[in-house]
Amino acid sequence: MKLLMKMMHLQEQHGAVTDAMLRDLSESERVPLHRLEGLRGFYPVFRSEPGRRRQVQVCRDMTCLMRGGPDFCRQIRTALAGADDVDVEEVSCLGRCDAAPAAAINDVPVSGSPTDIAALAAAMKSLPSNEPTANPRRWPTDPYENDAQRYGVLRDHVAGDDRSRDAFIQSLKDADLRGLGGAAFPTGMKWELTRKARGAPKYVVCNADESEPGTFKDRVLLEELPHLLIEAMALAGWTIGATQGIIYLRHEYAKERKALQREIENARARGALGKRIFGSATDFDLEIFVSPGGYILGEETALLEALEDKRGEPRNKPPFPTDHGLWGKPTLMNNVETFCAIPIILARGAKWWAAQGRRGYKGLKFMCVSGDVPTPGVYCVPWGTSVAELLAMCGGMAGGKNLYAFSPGGASTNILPASKRDVALDFKALQDAGSSLGTGAMVFIAEGRDLLQLAMSEVKFFRNESCGKCVPCRVGSHKAVELIESATAGRPVPDLIELLRELNATLVQTSICGLGQVALAPLMSAISNFPEDIRPKLETGVKVSR
Amino acid sequence: MSAAKRIKVTIDGIEVSVPEGTSIWDAARQAGIDIPVLCHSPRLRPVGVCRMCVVDIGQRVMAASCVRLCEDGMKVDASSPKVQKHRKMLTQLLLSDYPEKSQRELKTGDDQLLALARRFGIERIPFADGAATGGRGSDSSSPVIDVDHQACILCDKCLRGCNELQHNDVITRTGKGYTARIAFDLNAPMGDSTCVSCGECMAVCPTGALTNKPVAPVGAGRRGANR
Repeated sequence: MKLLMKMMHLQEQHGAVTDAMLRDLSESERVPLHRLEGLRGFYPVFRSEPGRRRQVQVCRDMTCLMRGGPDFCRQIRTALAGADDVDVEEVSCLGRCDAAPAAAINDVPVSGSPTDIAALAAAMKSLPSNEPTANPRRWPTDPYENDAQRYGVLRDHVAGDDRSRDAFIQSLKDADLRGLGGAAFPTGMKWELTRKARGAPKYVVCNADESEPGTFKDRVLLEELPHLLIEAMALAGWTIGATQGIIYLRHEYAKERKALQREIENARARGALGKRIFGSATDFDLEIFVSPGGYILGEETALLEALEDKRGEPRNKPPFPTDHGLWGKPTLMNNVETFCAIPIILARGAKWWAAQGRRGYKGLKFMCVSGDVPTPGVYCVPWGTSVAELLAMCGGMAGGKNLYAFSPGGASTNILPASKRDVALDFKALQDAGSSLGTGAMVFIAEGRDLLQLAMSEVKFFRNESCGKCVPCRVGSHKAVELIESATAGRPVPDLIELLRELNATLVQTSICGLGQVALAPLMSAISNFPEDIRPKLETGVKVSR
Repeated sequence: MSAAKRIKVTIDGIEVSVPEGTSIWDAARQAGIDIPVLCHSPRLRPVGVCRMCVVDIGQRVMAASCVRLCEDGMKVDASSPKVQKHRKMLTQLLLSDYPEKSQRELKTGDDQLLALARRFGIERIPFADGAATGGRGSDSSSPVIDVDHQACILCDKCLRGCNELQHNDVITRTGKGYTARIAFDLNAPMGDSTCVSCGECMAVCPTGALTNKPVAPVGAGRRGANR
């Protein structure tokens, strides 16, 4: 953390981390030069030479592609022609798919037409405020009516003994709470494993690095419900016997960072964090680590590598972080939404939580909806709500068009046809339907959309975000994009679809981490579920407009 | 000192008894089964990045046998057509970016990637030729070591050789994803870096990426000077 924080500080102060700065850092930190180059070359936040005064970052991923079109970035560049103090670059998903097409100017989120964004970038208008909302919404997972009640669950538990820890873990199991970052690992079991693991110190880590195209629910939770995250992490510290917690936050979330930092200070002032929490024997405190960038850091072991000042490349598993996490010590890591669900489960009980679901499913789920709907955004819905019901909540399909396809859980989940619209939002139900709930990032796609283009935007995202550590992902994702590009340019290789199937099987079976395993999933599911649409474009080499 | 607990694993139908903590790859060697590798060597810390040594242990995905430890009662399929198919695909992926001429094959005839290509009988690469279009470049600045980035498969062996075996601390990976490559110090040409020309990197390199540079015979230069 120390080294990367120093490098990020240099980047912030000087707009670059130059060779001269790294030589000084190498001397002062007693670290070889090659390690610093490895970090500078890996993380997108670092530049070796300062850029121009204004940096415009334009999202190129699925929802923004739908809203802004493939030429969106070029249009901004054209509108800025002649402005010599502005850099414009296309970047991966900024986590603002509800405001698509999304862009950021000097890290301040903006959106609008190419001319709007160009006017802001050229400093003809002042940038919007980047302050957290003064009026957070009232969400159904917040057990507290007002600020004064906050941290009540922690206050009630933190003096408890081992039996109350057992009961606490049992409540998480009874509630059937699962990892809501997409992996669906049973939360109660994870807490139990980390509690039982040998080794000290132990750590509690929150994965707040959501970066998958379509995903922005944690952003809203961080801004509007930071007290639930802080409370749950302190409860985790009490449960497993950790005194230190780290929130690994994606660097695009500056506004959310402020909200979180303010609430951490508030919690400290109330005695909910720090030494002897609420007068008990439990010590626990939190710090925020801002990611130097890259989707791969959301992979739990890549995240740990980054916290250890290494290139964020996933580790081979096993061992798992519950036993062998940060600095080789037992580490409990959960997603923002998973942590945030815990206080209310404790406050009202597993039965209450279960009763919030529908059709036999348990609990509440935050869905982030984007694409061809009039009111994209974050919706907190009962587990078991159907896809069609969620669509209705978002105002149905925009412009009265028909639903053609939907991607239920982010770029890594299989794209399903409209005929599956009655499937319930649930890990198992969506798995049975041939996809998965993933991060809960629902993208609705209307008839008339170029599905191959959209699926390929997701494959390209994974190619762009591959860390490069293992062969199948590094080379395979690149070659897959090349194969499709040559096919859509009218030059398909023979037996292309069979070749893609074999390549996909190797990526699934031999990649180190989930990124490589799912890199071709959007494409393969589009081929399987929409054969009449996709196959002709790949087999006969019909030129596809770009 | 008590001996490590012994466990039994079955690899391709052969039962082997090994101490707890043994990798599947090491256990297979003990059973006389040769699992191909590019990134692994018993001299080096295993990293499991080339994935050539994957084996089927009946789980959702395959396991890299160099890093996966044996478990008591484990059944390992290390040679079936399914496993070989993935290894062949990985070899094809690497070959698609490989230069037409490998300096290692030319100089010492022991290019391990080309040996795998022969082992799997690969005649056709179904992917675009990355070496023809890419051009990752080469670096001949070192007096004794030739660097051909196009032949580098990022197996990480030179990094471990340089930084962990010899403690010279010169080589890293820089960049990310498909454009990642090896680099010296702060991405300096090898000849301008703190490299001490120990030769470990080219000794462990399995491909034509790091090879012995042909050195001009000593006499040749002198004769020129005397003229």
